[in-house]
Amino acid sequence: MTLERRDRRLYYYRSVRDGEKVRKVYVGAGEQACISHEGDILRRTEREAQREKQRAELERLDALAAPVKELSEAAEVLARAHLIAAGYHRHKGEYRRARSA
Amino acid sequence: MPGALELSEETRERMAELRGLSEKAEAGDEEARKELRRLVRAASPEIIGRASDIAGRTEWMLIKTISAGEPLMEETLEARLALMREEIAGEDASPLEVLLTERVVSCWMLVELFDVLMAAQLWRGNEKSVSPSYLKHMIRWQESATRRYLAAIKGLVQVRKLLRPSVQINYAEQQVNVAGDLKR
Repeated sequence: MTLERRDRRLYYYRSVRDGEKVRKVYVGAGEQACISHEGDILRRTEREAQREKQRAELERLDALAAPVKELSEAAEVLARAHLIAAGYHRHKGEYRRARSA
Repeated sequence: MPGALELSEETRERMAELRGLSEKAEAGDEEARKELRRLVRAASPEIIGRASDIAGRTEWMLIKTISAGEPLMEETLEARLALMREEIAGEDASPLEVLLTERVVSCWMLVELFDVLMAAQLWRGNEKSVSPSYLKHMIRWQESATRRYLAAIKGLVQVRKLLRPSVQINYAEQQVNVAGDLKR
């Protein structure tokens, strides 16, 4: 978004992506240009704050899920070790008693 | 230095050893199986102790997050978890079964948390939209938590079925298999 001054008058344009190209779209001049420009800045700031909030929330959730993953892994390793020590082996995801055990 | 919710380096090393020996034993190495039996006996109490400690703290954090500071909700969840533990582990559960029960309960809590959060997102969806990437993250975590929860249940069932010695009784010309006590 650009606020341009020409001949002592303000003109406001928004940048709009059209496929691979970026076009400048005229929004308004004079007072209208200032109002639209400030409105866009406000909306952009709000969007950035929202993104930051969501990113922080995702990080918090990741931190909450991490210990559950660790607990799951420990339990999985130990259960498998117990089963194999007891003479089982896995066959297509299912445990079977080894013939020699 | 590990954090309060992480396994110590030593425990991780024990787990890596167990994993390595399990793989060798599964491939038919009988020496590895003997060594695995020894290590399972020696390392189990430590790993179970540390993992249970993590489970306790994690559940507390999950309860706090889900209840969002509501004391009644907190107490209800705590009571629900205690009941779940009692029902799932049952009487005379072995330490391994207790650990696997903790895993089931923690995974259930995580599934609940993501369900609550997703429901909240969809509820407020009309008034305040969330970004598609955020929703995508949430859905992926929800799916992963559900898969982990189901795997936890399967793991416990497998251990119960295979490690509890069953006794075969012939009664009225019919064979009846009765599960025994895992505490050995």
